[in-house]
Amino acid sequence: MRSVRVWFKKTGTAIYISHLDMNRCLSRAVVRAKIPLWYTEGFNPKPYLNFLCPLPLGQEGLNEPLDIRIEGEMTNEEVRNALSSVMPEGIEIKSVTDPVMKTAQITSAEYEITLETGCENTAADFALKAGEIIKSGELVAEKRSKKGVKTVNLCEMILSFSAVADGAFIRIKTVTATGSASNLNPDLVLTALFEKTGFEPVSRKISRTKLFNESGEEFR
Amino acid sequence: MFPKQLENVLLKVQKPGRYTGGELNSVIKDKNKIDIRYAFCFPDTYEIGMSHLGMKILYSLINERDDAWCERVFAPASDMEEQMRSLKVPLYGLESGDAIKDFDFIAFTMMYELCYTNILNMLSLAGVPLRSAERKNLSPLIVGGGACACNIEPMAEFFDLTTPGDGEEVTNEVIDLYKIHKAKGSTKAEFLREAAKIPGVYVPSLYDVEYNDDGIVKAIIPKDGAPAKVTKRTVKDLDTMFAPSSFVVPFIEVVHDRTTVETFRGCIRGCRFCQACFLYRPIREKSPETVEKQCRAIYENTGYDEISLCSLSTSDYTGLEKLLNSMLDWTVPEKINVALPSLRADNFPEELMKKLASVRKSGLTFAPEAGTQRLRDVINKNITEQEVLSTASLAFKGGWTAVKLYFMMGLPTETDEDIEGIAKLAQAVVDEYYNNPDKPKGRGVNVSVSVATLVPKPFTPFQWEPMITPEETKEKQTKLLSYIRSRKISVSMHNSQTSFLEGVFSRGDRRLSKVIEKAWEYGCKFDSWDDSLKFDVWMQCFEECGIDPLFYTARKRSYDEVLPWDHMDYGVTKQFFIRENKKAHEGLTTPCCREKCAGCGAAAINGGECSEIRKSVV
Repeated sequence: MRSVRVWFKKTGTAIYISHLDMNRCLSRAVVRAKIPLWYTEGFNPKPYLNFLCPLPLGQEGLNEPLDIRIEGEMTNEEVRNALSSVMPEGIEIKSVTDPVMKTAQITSAEYEITLETGCENTAADFALKAGEIIKSGELVAEKRSKKGVKTVNLCEMILSFSAVADGAFIRIKTVTATGSASNLNPDLVLTALFEKTGFEPVSRKISRTKLFNESGEEFR
Repeated sequence: MFPKQLENVLLKVQKPGRYTGGELNSVIKDKNKIDIRYAFCFPDTYEIGMSHLGMKILYSLINERDDAWCERVFAPASDMEEQMRSLKVPLYGLESGDAIKDFDFIAFTMMYELCYTNILNMLSLAGVPLRSAERKNLSPLIVGGGACACNIEPMAEFFDLTTPGDGEEVTNEVIDLYKIHKAKGSTKAEFLREAAKIPGVYVPSLYDVEYNDDGIVKAIIPKDGAPAKVTKRTVKDLDTMFAPSSFVVPFIEVVHDRTTVETFRGCIRGCRFCQACFLYRPIREKSPETVEKQCRAIYENTGYDEISLCSLSTSDYTGLEKLLNSMLDWTVPEKINVALPSLRADNFPEELMKKLASVRKSGLTFAPEAGTQRLRDVINKNITEQEVLSTASLAFKGGWTAVKLYFMMGLPTETDEDIEGIAKLAQAVVDEYYNNPDKPKGRGVNVSVSVATLVPKPFTPFQWEPMITPEETKEKQTKLLSYIRSRKISVSMHNSQTSFLEGVFSRGDRRLSKVIEKAWEYGCKFDSWDDSLKFDVWMQCFEECGIDPLFYTARKRSYDEVLPWDHMDYGVTKQFFIRENKKAHEGLTTPCCREKCAGCGAAAINGGECSEIRKSVV
């Protein structure tokens, strides 16, 4: 038995698949792929799947890691080919690698966000304000966790942030704390910013582009 | 793929995965190369509709055609409906996202009567006039099928045509005929007149119904050459019958999320309350080889880890042992669970039970249906208490600790003793567990008792019987609870109001169309969901329409009365039902078809063939 790390892209209709449903959906995909799977040994045997860093509902992920366990001699390339042919619409296999780092080493992630405003002036105005608020070092919001609701300063979990207007669109690039120790959903940052500025976009698209470890290296 | 306008609302509604489409194995075609657009609608939520085998069969069947594209449509939940109405997005097909009002067919499958308001609501969401007479154009044609097609009269004003019986052949025949008429530029009336000539097609508008002064149907008069009797369609050979080789695999969890393959149609048992038993006769079996081949194909195309062998009474399948012996050879190593719903307590071999439990254990359900032997004889449920207990005992030995028991109340001739009998039987199962030396160590037993109210249905020996009122139901339910002594027994009971409405519509006539339409106007929908049923509104609608619902439920009908569904022929004869009804009141049982042919008459519509008759001859 060995672990392989499957890197996949989740876009389009697939962004509406919740994490729990992803688990069910990809469990079936790996079965269809006829990969020699290692099954959990409990009362209810299931193929072993570990989504290292679950994506919130409605967000895209451009290179998301998933660990599966296989038996036998299949190479990473063979696993990749087998999986590629069985994925549902919106999920695309990017690569299959040997795991290098451990899940717990994920500490932050980079997001690209596009907000649609319908008006160039509003876009420019919001981009400016948002940048200033984050720079000020204080953006307070209520954050829900398993332990209850807590008021936190979101800026403490934002590693970098830039917002630029692009016509009637606003493009944001941000790195926020991600992982088991500290985690900030960028959607929460947006909601807090909207509340503070009174701005409401026509649409928003959030896309996770990269995961990093503590020293800022890309997660592998 | 959903319409673009919905992109921003999908994250505001519960379970957006219901509305996006794009699931694995969903069929996408080039609409420029298609003649026929077919919307297959299920009048309930996605989770329920995606569990429905009939939909999967016909979806694959229509999409096999190069000239047609079948798409799935489900009833949006209230939150989504609100969004769609405010954005003026009409009901769309999940595959293309196109509005179904522009399709050629809008088809509904009707599994139970309480979905009727959902059908009207879906038509309204689609932007299609509700009544058949208001839709002047040839398309969209509103067609229907499913169990309720045996008495579609309460919905007769809304449907253009229905197809009682098996849909595998007639669906294609209707599409073929429509294609000719579409090309010719025929009117809807011209098409419907021709369609009524296809065996197994019912065009409600081609029948006039007359009533006596007492409200009972006087006569059902066919016109424009429509047949006096519409005979349901029966597929003769299940081995060569179309069956899907793949299912659409939903993203979100649905009720029955698994591979399902039929083993046979019809039922040999003849329980007198059971509509399905008689609607799907004669008995036709699939060979074990065909079943296994179909299971394998769907498993490989879906990746499901459960296979359900489905029928009305799976342990009566003559090929069961052969099938399981062969199938378990690959399902066990591939970690697939094989589930057998609808097993009977009296013929479930221990060997089979062991084999089935080799991957994962699923639930175990028995349906004694009545609490005493006397009443079980009345309903012809030929199971003894001893059989239930010995099968339960076997199950406990095999490691099961949870058992479900299904019962009914409101059965003809029922007394308090029968209600108490339900509690006693459940208690006996609990005792059986604790007296069993081989029971699983250190674990308690859980017996869940589920009690439904008898809704007498058309095409059953009980079709003339009165149904108990909601008040009587509640009384009996309270009584039953007072007889339960053990905390190991949990009881769940059907809502007396939903059962009552089901009772009205299952044996209703055309005059109910206006009640259903009014109820929909007053906001009734999802009536089968307890939290959305507006019973008072329904009662108000009956009153405003001047219709007494008790006329349909509480009245004992006489054998010579014209029934609203008398122009439907499901094979089993009225004489047989009368015979069975009389025997019920005498407390006499009828042996199952395998022991002795009871002469129900169903074989006649299948060229005289019935698996059971064939066997008794050989």
